[in-house]
Amino acid sequence: MIATQTITPRLERSYARLGVLLIAPTILVFSLVIVYPLLAAIYLSVFSIYTPTLEGNFVGAANYVKLLTGKAFWNSLGVTLIWTVGTLTLQIVFGVGMALLLHQNIWFRSLARSLVLFPYFLSTVVAVLVWRWLFNDLYGAMNHGLMQLGILDLPLDWLGSMPNAMIGVILVGAWKYFPFVVIAVLARLQTIPEHLYEAAKIDGAGPIARFWDVTLPQLRNVLVVIVLLRAIWDFKEFDLIYLLTGGGPVTSTQTLSLLVYQEAFGLNQMGQAAAYSVGMMLVMLVFMVVYIRKTGKEG
Amino acid sequence: MADVTLTNVRKQFGTFVALENLDIEIKSGEFVALLGPSGCGKSTTLRMLAGLEFPTSGDISIDGRVVNDVAPGKRDIAMVFQSYALYPHMSVAENIAYPLKKRGVSAADRKVAVQKAAELLQLEPLLDRKPKQLSGGQQQRVALGRALVREPKVFLLDEPLSNLDAKLRSYMRAELIELHRRLGKTMIYVTHDQLEAMTMANRIAVMHGGKLQQFDTPDAVYNRPANRFVASFIGTPSMNQLEGQLDGALFHVAGHSIPLDRTRFADDLGTGDYALGVRPEFVAIGDGELPAKIRLVENTGHEQIVTLELTDGTRLLARTDAARRLDVGQNVQIGFHPDAIHLFAPGEEGPRLNKNDAASVIPMRSR
Repeated sequence: MIATQTITPRLERSYARLGVLLIAPTILVFSLVIVYPLLAAIYLSVFSIYTPTLEGNFVGAANYVKLLTGKAFWNSLGVTLIWTVGTLTLQIVFGVGMALLLHQNIWFRSLARSLVLFPYFLSTVVAVLVWRWLFNDLYGAMNHGLMQLGILDLPLDWLGSMPNAMIGVILVGAWKYFPFVVIAVLARLQTIPEHLYEAAKIDGAGPIARFWDVTLPQLRNVLVVIVLLRAIWDFKEFDLIYLLTGGGPVTSTQTLSLLVYQEAFGLNQMGQAAAYSVGMMLVMLVFMVVYIRKTGKEG
Repeated sequence: MADVTLTNVRKQFGTFVALENLDIEIKSGEFVALLGPSGCGKSTTLRMLAGLEFPTSGDISIDGRVVNDVAPGKRDIAMVFQSYALYPHMSVAENIAYPLKKRGVSAADRKVAVQKAAELLQLEPLLDRKPKQLSGGQQQRVALGRALVREPKVFLLDEPLSNLDAKLRSYMRAELIELHRRLGKTMIYVTHDQLEAMTMANRIAVMHGGKLQQFDTPDAVYNRPANRFVASFIGTPSMNQLEGQLDGALFHVAGHSIPLDRTRFADDLGTGDYALGVRPEFVAIGDGELPAKIRLVENTGHEQIVTLELTDGTRLLARTDAARRLDVGQNVQIGFHPDAIHLFAPGEEGPRLNKNDAASVIPMRSR
């Protein structure tokens, strides 16, 4: 007994050393690419800096005062929330619907399952260029088609006017990212025991009752994770919106990411941009905390 | 309470024939076990009764009504699944009340019904728990509660005890027998465990390869098996079946002859190949003319299962008192109790050729 008591801690110490050694590279990379930029952003945010020269002077909380009192941040936060809620809702509705469809024994199911992933795998730049062509008010296929069908009398300015621009961005976002929802929901659907449906049938539940009482409760956990993850990703979406509308018309589709970019590289105000990004990070922290608490409970 | 009848039912999955010409008539209030090895078609039969599968041809009727095209929820049946299939997000009370809710029973009436079921199954302290928080036996009782709460005409049970440990299984077996006695409902019970079928059922439908082999009382399937399959499937250890030749009143096996009482068997049996069946408890060691060697002795505490080898290498089992001293390698003479001998036609499902009145029910002690 005595021998094992002295040996075990030594063994444990060596295991602990090995553990530290194995985790070290991760911590190092994490520090370099996450912690350092984060701290640098906070540091920059208390300066007024001219981007091309990266020179400037300490201004204290002035950038944050402007953030709180000015319109830009709040306007963009509103735009970001509309975009996030709008595109996420469509992603969930289309994603769950498509997953339910692909879960049925339909013809060409495996082909359809691969095809549905197409928008997700397509490069954003390519996808957005195609969409811009479709949306074009002069020669776009969208206007052409809608006019042929008699739904529109005159060509519509899809991306240059509101609320069309926001609707366009939300639709393209939903199209691009709903396959993620399909994959996650479909994977979960396949694990729902068939017996639950059979029991519900015998208990007298029709197809709609079976969806509400069996399918949806089983999807609940995966939907919580999907909603949180997609909310975080959509909240900080940049390339899709930037390429599609550039934040316009004026600032009506300028989300927080675009605001930060505009401030840093359009207006050359690196310090102010850093302050906006810190503000954005604080908002995202709320999502993060919810996500960590939700997923932590599962584990 | 209701009669359940299957008339000439056939079920095909693609080209695979799962069931062939199945005719079963179950009387109201009966406890019937569908027994057979996996793939015999017993679960398919039950699922067709439930409406989860549809017969390729033939009729299924419950309480005199043909239900071939009736949805599961409208057949007035309840089913207990092997996996229990409880709704994981609902509490025990909600699970039990669910079939009533789907039938538009008011909340107050549901509560009364749930309370009644919970009392019957001793689930009262668990009503607010989720299925995940229950043991296997408790989940099993909730599944039973959900089945009996709306008082269906027929209960269908699909291997409901097979996920329980041995001790709990024997306890739940007794509970189910008691439940059937109290409710007096028709119960149809699928199992591959002959012990469950023998102890619980009024009648057993033994199935094999999609065909009904025998449908009779536990006593009959044990003592008067319809064919070689039933004889070998029912009983542990199973019946010895020795392949040999019949010649008049003599059965030739392993170079020796066993005299038979021909009046016990069908009169028109010609000379040729047959199988002689005898249960291990009717093989007498040290009392007979057939020489054999003891190959293995398994003492279970209250009895011994003895593996014997005849001179031609054929093996058979005997069951004896645990107190008896037997050594491996010992040469013995064995004999069969003359009233316990069955004769079968050759082949896996060769029919039994004893006269029906020749009931081979012999008290164990007389061997």
